Amino acid sequence: MTAALRNLSLALLIVWLVLPLLPLAVWSVAKSWFFPDLLPSVWSLDGWAHVASPRSGVLAALWETTLIAGLVTALAILIGLPAARALGMHRFRGKAGVEMLILAPILVPGLAYALGLHSVFIGLGLTNSRAGVVIVHLIPTLPYMILVLAGVFANLSPDMEAQARSLGASPLRVFRHVTLPAIRPGLIVGATFAFLVSWSQYVLTLLIGGGRVETLPLLLFSYATSGRNDLTGAIGMIYILPGVLILLFASRHLTGQGAGLGGVRP
Amino acid sequence: MSDRRKIVLMLVPALIVLGGLFLGGLGIGLARSLNWMPVIGLTEPNLDAYRAVLTDPDFLWSFALSFHIAFTSTLLSLVIAIAAALMIRRTGRGGALVRFLFQLNLTVPHLVGAIGILYLFSQSGSFARLGYQVGLIDRPADFPALVFDPAAIGIILQYVWKEVPFIGVILLAQMQTIGADYESAARSLGATRWQAFRHVLLPMILPGALAASIIVFAFAFGAYEIPALLGQNHPAALPVLAWRSYTDVDLAARPQAMAMAMVIAAMSLVLILAYLRAARGRIGGRR
Amino acid sequence: MRLPRLQHRRGTLVFRHRDHFEDTMKRLLLSVLLLSASPALADTADGSMLIGKPWAEIEKMAKGGTVNWFMWGGSDTINAYVGDRIGGMLKDSHGITVNRVGITDAAEIVNLVLGEKEAGVMDRGSVDMIWINGENFRSMKQAGLAFCGYVETLPNNALINWDDPAVANDFGVPVEGCEVPWNKAQFAFAHDSATLPEPPRSIPALLDWIKANPGQFTYPAPPDFHGSVFVRHVFYHAAGGAENLLGPFDQAKFDDVAPKAWAILNEIEPYLWREGTTYPNTIAQLQQMFANKEVALVFDYDASQFGLAVDNGTYPATVRSYGLEDGTIGNTNYVLIPFNSPNKAAAMVVANALIAGEEQLAKADPAIWGAAPAIDVTRASTEVQAGFAALPMHPSVIPATELAKASLPELQADWITAIEQGWIENVGK
Repeated sequence: MTAALRNLSLALLIVWLVLPLLPLAVWSVAKSWFFPDLLPSVWSLDGWAHVASPRSGVLAALWETTLIAGLVTALAILIGLPAARALGMHRFRGKAGVEMLILAPILVPGLAYALGLHSVFIGLGLTNSRAGVVIVHLIPTLPYMILVLAGVFANLSPDMEAQARSLGASPLRVFRHVTLPAIRPGLIVGATFAFLVSWSQYVLTLLIGGGRVETLPLLLFSYATSGRNDLTGAIGMIYILPGVLILLFASRHLTGQGAGLGGVRP
Repeated sequence: MSDRRKIVLMLVPALIVLGGLFLGGLGIGLARSLNWMPVIGLTEPNLDAYRAVLTDPDFLWSFALSFHIAFTSTLLSLVIAIAAALMIRRTGRGGALVRFLFQLNLTVPHLVGAIGILYLFSQSGSFARLGYQVGLIDRPADFPALVFDPAAIGIILQYVWKEVPFIGVILLAQMQTIGADYESAARSLGATRWQAFRHVLLPMILPGALAASIIVFAFAFGAYEIPALLGQNHPAALPVLAWRSYTDVDLAARPQAMAMAMVIAAMSLVLILAYLRAARGRIGGRR
Repeated sequence: MRLPRLQHRRGTLVFRHRDHFEDTMKRLLLSVLLLSASPALADTADGSMLIGKPWAEIEKMAKGGTVNWFMWGGSDTINAYVGDRIGGMLKDSHGITVNRVGITDAAEIVNLVLGEKEAGVMDRGSVDMIWINGENFRSMKQAGLAFCGYVETLPNNALINWDDPAVANDFGVPVEGCEVPWNKAQFAFAHDSATLPEPPRSIPALLDWIKANPGQFTYPAPPDFHGSVFVRHVFYHAAGGAENLLGPFDQAKFDDVAPKAWAILNEIEPYLWREGTTYPNTIAQLQQMFANKEVALVFDYDASQFGLAVDNGTYPATVRSYGLEDGTIGNTNYVLIPFNSPNKAAAMVVANALIAGEEQLAKADPAIWGAAPAIDVTRASTEVQAGFAALPMHPSVIPATELAKASLPELQADWITAIEQGWIENVGK
């Protein structure tokens, strides 16, 4: 392949990857944009005014989505860290089964287990509540956390912790000064996955939250299917913002090898 | 405290979530699909829901459609991703920017991508307008039906858009680990560039590419919101059909919705086994 | 970054201390407990003790309550009216929080309440109010999911004319105090006067027009609400008039009319958008196509929607709406309180506020919403009557009085279900 051809195909590929975001961005500042106009006939900031208005519920949904993703991430760390350590550093009977169980939610779609969970959650009073949504979001997020951290723990030398302990460090100090620095990059990657996977959930939130827990994707879907393209565009821009920020941050701090976030949910 | 107890303790919270909630949810779904709910007096499981679902042409159409969506999306994504990774791994100047843009939509939720595809490819979307401006079409109906279409082109476009970077980034990381030495050695022994790729690099990246493809396939087969937004009315993708049955006003349709959820889960089980094989294959391939 | 996968390592590590994981677990359990502690307290879940109580007492019990009102959320104007105006007013006057929950289809909420009943949730349901009518109302009433009998306790009930059969029956199902009328609506068509100056103004004319203008018309696939209403218009035409179909569902009559209706719809199918190989999923999709001239006609059960769409830029200003010479179907829509709402007193206060003359007038303003009143305006105060007389008109909205000159009744819900099923079997597939 000649260099020119390669550069051309690469440019086409990159354009194609960015292209779908373009009409959303334009719609967010458009009012009337009818066929066959290539550009809106009326420009307007109504969409953004709607987003910024405390009454429209967009800001509340932004907060709700952030809060849920934050809680899910924190819980996934608390639950995932010990499990990852067990898997990464220990051998035990039944390990293959545990691994399969942890892998399964990545491959089993939410709808398949959520319909069954829904009826139990109704009985427990967990439907239509933030708590219920947080709990159900743990299912798709936890595997990513555990898989990432298990890989980190597998490469961690147990000798360093043992040395620190033999020198008299308390367990907490060992964790803070030896273990944590060693697993920090993995922790950040795992937390990023968990946050973004929760951030993107639609069907689990819709079903378990029952519409009462209104996150950005629910709002976005509702406006996208009711033909308000200006509002859809503005909400869509807000919705992708954290991911883009994380990617910017990650590609600067995390890797140094150029690859940022492989393995974010497909 | 013994080692064993410690390991168990470390695993218990995760097992509660994944064993209790995930397997529990599947288990209850299975019970309901079998009309087996002792709590409300249904003590004799039967296969009525499965019989109804599996003989319903609508279900078979939906299953076929979802399979087509998943298979075509995965295949296209994989091929394009391999080509993209091969091109990107050698970018010199501007490489950082290219890599950043290549990864950009990894963090963009599917829903946003689907709306973007809708605005681009509908019969009055950006491309149709472009076609009108250059005189290719006279009215929206002249533009080919790419969304809400029988072949699910819009849905597939969305998945390809989203999954090419997903598979591509994984392949890039693999290629980085492998390095250029094997290929250089092959080239120095007289292999053409294609032969070096086909017989040296490809076998080394294939297991990883397969594992990634399986994840993509599973997702495309079972996701609800994309076909709900971009799919045609009838036949609908399997997850859409299951959702419609579940939210049907007639509660009698619920066991059938559960049966469809179980079919999706069974498909995933096959994929999990395939994934484990692929992952093992990769370890072998590396050795 | 590699694909997440499990990595094995031969090394083992022995923990000899009470490590942090146990603390972690305790904290985890605690947070799960804290998270799941649900504050749902059934305060006014017992509806029977509210019925007939002096209004002032009910208002007192309603104070500080929260009303989770599930309603179609696709219109930001209606959302703003409910959220800002109704919500603000009730907050100020009664300390009631109106929590508008946007949904796409009321059927999902019927299903939700039904699921709650099945799971034994009898007094701490999650829904306090639903915007509803038609088959969803029938489902709720039949399954005993509606709180009934309280309507006469509402002071503003005096403004409702229950002798009007179009109010006392919701798609042919007697209301019997199980819901409160909120708006009236009548089906209307719309065209863009700039591109199509003379639209077809009757069903026969429309059928001819479709054949003469291939690809310019379609309708959302039933059971989409609007698609279903359109199909009913054709059904009435096939039956030679609505009067032959009124009353309870009649299989013999249905079998007589249905084949004619399917034949008409199948006959026009090749002339529809995309040769009728597929239909839009939702009315929103049709609206989008109309806005972009993919089709030349659109319709809505609420003509005021055309004005709102022009104002927010979705439609060009040249859009005009119209009724049919052979009449269009009209109905009333309602709010309903589910049997297991824990906030019935507050929900009753909200329902009462919705049918106050001032509120009915406010939402009739095209700038706010433009919905036709469900109350009998002649029973309202003279100020309210004067306000209705002075309402501005939107050029894109056909006045409700104009539409009402040729009006058709709605069928009973069983008919509608049968027609929708029949369409799916005989036309959609």
